[in-house]
Amino acid sequence: MLLALIVALPLLGSLLPVLLDRRGRRLPAFAAALPAAIALLTLLSFTREMQAEQTIIVSYPWLESLGLNLSLRLDGLSFLFALLILGIGLLVILYSRYYLSTEEAMGRFYAYLLVFMSAMLGIVLSENLLLMLVFWEMTSLSSFLLISFWSHRSDSRRGARLALTFTAGGGLALLAGVLLLGHIAGSFELSQVLVSGSTIIQHPLYPLMLILILLGAFTKSAQFPFHFWLPHAMAAPTPVSAYLHSATMVKAGIFLLARLYPTIAGTDWWFYIVSLTGLTTLLLGSAMALFQHDLKGLLAYSTISHLGLITLLFGLDTDMSSVAAIFHTINHATFKASLFMAAGIIDHETGTRDLRRLSGLKRFLPHTALLAIVASLSMAGVPLLNGFLSKEMFLSETLNQGLLGRFNWIIPAVSTLANLLTMAYSVRFIHQTFFGEAPKDLPKHPHEPPFYMRLPVQILVLLCVVVGLFPGQTVSELLAMAARASLGRPLPEYSLEIWHGFNLPLLLSLIALVGGTLVYFFLSRPLFRLYEKLPDAEARDVFEGTMQCLVRSAVWFTDRLENGSLQRYLALMLLGVLLITGSALWRLETWTGPVALTPLDPLTSLGLLVLMAAAIMVALSHRHRLQAIIMSSVAGLMVAMLFARFSAPDLSLTQLSVEVVTAVLLVLALFFLPWHTPRESTALRRLRDLALAGGGGALVSVLTYAVLTRPYESISPFFLDNSLPGGGGRNVVNVILVDFRGFDTLGEISVLAITGVAIYAMLEGVTLPRPEKGLGGYSWVRDRHPLMLRVVSTLILPLALLVSVFIFMRGHNLPGGGFIAGLITTAALILQYIASGLRWTTARLPLDFRRLAGFGLLTAGITGLVAPLFGKPFLTSAFTHVEIPLIGDIELASAMLFDLGVYLTVVGSSLLILANLALNGRPQDKERI
Amino acid sequence: MELLFAITLGVLTTSGLYLMLRGRTFPVVLGITLITYAVNLFLFAMGRLITGAPTIIGPDRDYTDPLPQALVLTAIVISFAMTAFVLVLSIKALSELGNDHVDGADR
Amino acid sequence: MNHLLVLPILLPLFTGAFLLLFNEKASSHKRVCSTAATLLLLPLSAWLIAVAGQGQFLTYALGDWPAPFGIVLVLDRLSALMVMITAVLASAAMIYAIRGDDARGRNFHALFQFQIAGLNGAFLTGDLFNLYVFFEILLIASYALLLHGSGRERTSAGLHYVLLNLLGSSLFLIAVGTLYGLLGTLNMADLARRITQVNPVDAPLIAAAGGLLLLVFALKAALLPLYFWLPRAYAGATAPVAALFAVMTKMGVYSILRVYTLLFGPEAGELAQLAPPLLWPLALATLALGSVGALAAKQLQELVAYLVLVSVGLLLAGLSLGRTESIAACLYYLIHTTWITGGLFLLSDLLARQRGDTGSALVAGPPLNAPLLLSGLFFFGAVSIAGLPPLSGFLGKVLILRSATLPEARWLWPVLLLSSLGLIIALSRAGSTVFWRTQAVEPTHRKVDGWRVFAVAFLMSGSVILVVIAKPLTRYLDQAAEQMMSPGAYIEAVLQETPP
Repeated sequence: MLLALIVALPLLGSLLPVLLDRRGRRLPAFAAALPAAIALLTLLSFTREMQAEQTIIVSYPWLESLGLNLSLRLDGLSFLFALLILGIGLLVILYSRYYLSTEEAMGRFYAYLLVFMSAMLGIVLSENLLLMLVFWEMTSLSSFLLISFWSHRSDSRRGARLALTFTAGGGLALLAGVLLLGHIAGSFELSQVLVSGSTIIQHPLYPLMLILILLGAFTKSAQFPFHFWLPHAMAAPTPVSAYLHSATMVKAGIFLLARLYPTIAGTDWWFYIVSLTGLTTLLLGSAMALFQHDLKGLLAYSTISHLGLITLLFGLDTDMSSVAAIFHTINHATFKASLFMAAGIIDHETGTRDLRRLSGLKRFLPHTALLAIVASLSMAGVPLLNGFLSKEMFLSETLNQGLLGRFNWIIPAVSTLANLLTMAYSVRFIHQTFFGEAPKDLPKHPHEPPFYMRLPVQILVLLCVVVGLFPGQTVSELLAMAARASLGRPLPEYSLEIWHGFNLPLLLSLIALVGGTLVYFFLSRPLFRLYEKLPDAEARDVFEGTMQCLVRSAVWFTDRLENGSLQRYLALMLLGVLLITGSALWRLETWTGPVALTPLDPLTSLGLLVLMAAAIMVALSHRHRLQAIIMSSVAGLMVAMLFARFSAPDLSLTQLSVEVVTAVLLVLALFFLPWHTPRESTALRRLRDLALAGGGGALVSVLTYAVLTRPYESISPFFLDNSLPGGGGRNVVNVILVDFRGFDTLGEISVLAITGVAIYAMLEGVTLPRPEKGLGGYSWVRDRHPLMLRVVSTLILPLALLVSVFIFMRGHNLPGGGFIAGLITTAALILQYIASGLRWTTARLPLDFRRLAGFGLLTAGITGLVAPLFGKPFLTSAFTHVEIPLIGDIELASAMLFDLGVYLTVVGSSLLILANLALNGRPQDKERI
Repeated sequence: MELLFAITLGVLTTSGLYLMLRGRTFPVVLGITLITYAVNLFLFAMGRLITGAPTIIGPDRDYTDPLPQALVLTAIVISFAMTAFVLVLSIKALSELGNDHVDGADR
Repeated sequence: MNHLLVLPILLPLFTGAFLLLFNEKASSHKRVCSTAATLLLLPLSAWLIAVAGQGQFLTYALGDWPAPFGIVLVLDRLSALMVMITAVLASAAMIYAIRGDDARGRNFHALFQFQIAGLNGAFLTGDLFNLYVFFEILLIASYALLLHGSGRERTSAGLHYVLLNLLGSSLFLIAVGTLYGLLGTLNMADLARRITQVNPVDAPLIAAAGGLLLLVFALKAALLPLYFWLPRAYAGATAPVAALFAVMTKMGVYSILRVYTLLFGPEAGELAQLAPPLLWPLALATLALGSVGALAAKQLQELVAYLVLVSVGLLLAGLSLGRTESIAACLYYLIHTTWITGGLFLLSDLLARQRGDTGSALVAGPPLNAPLLLSGLFFFGAVSIAGLPPLSGFLGKVLILRSATLPEARWLWPVLLLSSLGLIIALSRAGSTVFWRTQAVEPTHRKVDGWRVFAVAFLMSGSVILVVIAKPLTRYLDQAAEQMMSPGAYIEAVLQETPP
């Protein structure tokens, strides 16, 4: 419980500074320090358990199927790291209070910092690897927010994105690696994973898993070739650089190596990858650091180099080297954090971080100068300071390995060279900043910062000195317990002494110290000249260039793929159809099934032939659109006749009336559209289309033929048996529509109603051009409403309405019903519109069609709602027979009311569609229909 | 009969699909109409092609399968609605985009 | 017989029809009516989840005609879940819309309600032809909503969407017809039962019909090569419509899941493994190309549209793994991605409103009026959708990764992880352009509408809630997936009422 508190406190506490943002500067800082301080105290309360080498594990099972549990672990290693995170974190909070200016959003800054602290604590305290991963990526995110804190600056934004891309990308690799590790070990709990070392190493997936995990660790810890992001992360406010980018976050990769050391180390893979990466990074970082003119740039590359050193130590893969690695982690955190803070003070006081402009600052900042000098000497590994101790251990370890065989000497040689360079840039830092003449034209006049801004530096530098002088009394216990937890076995014999006598490591150290000084004072000029001749490749620009190139190629590719051509999309879809069904039908043994074919009769054959001819004619004459409409109507009529021929009178009637309405609609549409289609496609394109279309046609043919010649056993007898007794109607098709499958019908009239509304909505604000000339260039007939037509239509209308009532009434027992009746009514009314004009008809038929459609839909629906009142499901029908004198037996069925709804919806929607279109062509008639 | 019927549907579909692959809206709509005919006939034929057996309940009669007929009725109405919609949409496209190409641009 | 089961369909359907009785303007009465109907879906769907969570199948025989003769609605864990996802998404979209977007065209509310009715009907129905009818309802409503507010880009993108779907509908009918012509039934449970007994000689015909259905659903889900219409259409749609459409692709995913576990499920013999070999490569390609598109996007709303594609790719890839764990993982991811992409659609509109003429274009624009609030929301949404911890996207991603085994994992892992990296790059670029690279002019004085922010935050908060309730939720989803993988119980539950 207390463990969870350590992680949760900073996270919860992150709200405090935001809330107190407007209350000056002291309060947010205090609010930020409070949760961190409590967390630190809580951590320290575990000191006794840690000294007793206990491992404390608390576990809250959560997503067990995933293996993600909320379990935390505190042992020596996590204790050490948590101590660093909280301790340095508190110092940074204090420092930031003075570093940030009054205008800056201090509350937000502290909130980010605390979120980061919590995430970092989460990493080191997680027992569950997936949980650790959660915190891992959270550090990347909070680091992104902190680097981009000055988001108005372009270098901040770019630096932040660069860092995010590298670290979050590495996080993804780590995710894969951890999932593999969990898969191999059978658990994500560290206590299980840490004892499965031998299984893991022998697993065939081990190399892949190792590489993925190392990718995560190396990106986070800025190892070559993923080190680019770190120098650019220096665009962050300096406290962030001190905290995230030197003392803690970049150590997360190191922590991961230390944590997983017992399970994934100890193989050649590990040795070669880790040590060579570390070695390269060490040398590269120290060399690059020498050439930086930006104070923070120098420190950033120095950080890279030291991280390389620690990585190399883990790679050397001996127990002693791991001890040295952890020791150096502690030391680096102290001296580098203090150096960054000092650099921040210099920047803050002088307004610049350019080494070429700085000089002689010891006059103005004597205290700061002293602190910075001590810290840099520790960084260089000068005796009596903590950096010296771990560096000595490091050098002796490089001498103790033997895996490179004949090339064994490379590691100590390169290490010494890197140390030499470290000495050189440390001396450069000290000399150029603090010594020499008084600085000229600095942006600000420097003077010592407030005491509390220096205090964190003082504390850290004091630690460097004390640890350097009395390692045995100060750090040895902490180190031992961390190293033991990391190794998972007893530690080798070692002594943290300043003096080991004259030996080879000491000699190498001396070479480095003396050589480095000499290089700086005598060789730096030619070296710089050489460096300036090197091609200038700024990582951030390379990154931005790469990103822009990536985006450009993505744009290019996407534009090619989605070229906005419907014809292509349709062709692709058709191709898909043909491939999918073709591959299935390929396996069909025979197209013809066992059912005997019915003989051809001449009449039907003629009808089919006419239908075919009409279809072909439509395709051939589609450039002459009116002609094509006529041909397509012929096809529609033939379809209606086929329905009639094959025992479907209802369908035939429906098809006929739909055909009439569709034809009117097509002609009406053609009124607005061009009369002819231009010839556009190439012959090749037409051929391709024909092939695709032919394929589709063949598919339909094969399916039709194959199904029709096969037997099937339908559910239909149920409908035939129940239509009269259960549905009260003789026309089974109608009973299916209004009763058995009334829900479909309700949906279908909804579609119709929505279409009407949709068209109405769509035509808003559209003014359609009214063509001056008709087909063939003739003017429109002046007499818009011929007398003959008017008379006839006025006569027909009542007749047609009567017919539709008749059709409607008999629908339940004979062919007919709401649909057909509705369409006949529609057709008759349309005729009226055509003959007498819109205005005339509207004046005499004041119907709001949208309302009618809605009303029809509601009628049908509410009919269905009656049943639930009687405890029956929606749409359950009821019917009764009523004996009326003179007229005789009348059947009253609720289904008829439903059908009435259908009728009303059909009339309302169809007229809504047609009238809107017609109305739109007549800008002078703005009255609503 | 079934064979000729199947071929007829194939021809209808081919003409319809060919028109659908054209570049202007009106032929595309015509194509959809033809495809609709074909699909409706196809769905209808799934109740098999039987002459003289309408599904009006009466004494001692043969009936064809009524269910596909009901489905086709629904399908006819829905496809009518869709055709109407796409027709009006193509008019809207013409008025807003200035031409009747399906991509709204002359290529 | 519980009538509440039919309410998720009837409530919006009747509301829509009722709204037609008034004029086309978005009056306050209509807003109240429409919003109330939408919000009522929340408790209703919660009830459905509670009922389905007990593990029984609830059926509702419309017209009191037993299955397979009449149409039945079937509630199982999956359909309850889908209705719930839709209800939450629709509520947020509705709240956003009534702040003014609904007045940009005619009859918005009626169309919106019909759209929901179509969605819920499609989720609940147990009848294949009825599924077609509801598809048409939701399609025609979506056509109209897509064009809502008019504009050139909308019309041209809408035309493509409509025409492609018209062809899709024809294919659907052919598939239904073929299945009926061979099996003689339309009820999905009955179809599933009859498919197990089908004559092996006829199996290729059934497979062809199944292939056609797959294609139709893949078009709805926007799978390669049938997704090209989507980015333009979604980028052009009015924000609440685009947000609601976040569930439209999931409709396709749902249908694939339903049909290919039930009809062509594990008991369908040689027809069982119909979909995965086709889906798998195409889904992975969609996932990859979606992230490429996200990198290429020139507008924020377009970027979000590509995020929809990424999610579809991942979902279908996950589903084609065909394991109980992977289905459960995909369902988790489905909830997450629907809500978050919906929220991001709304958010990008909220941003565009502040940026004046710059709109949601990814170029430097004027500074925002409430930068912290908006950038905070964006950061949250981006973290969630890119699958970074500690939000739901991460859990969903890890669940899917974990559910993959060799040899499929060899493909899924790299594609998924690289696509995540692509999304991180794309989203960080977009965010830093919109929020940080601002022109040096005065911020616009357009105030950020509180209710609109609420709608966005409402959806985004789902990402936290999904993590908090992950334990009970994953249990529910595991059981839902088990239900899917053993369709026998479903078939029994639907058909038991068949009279002898």
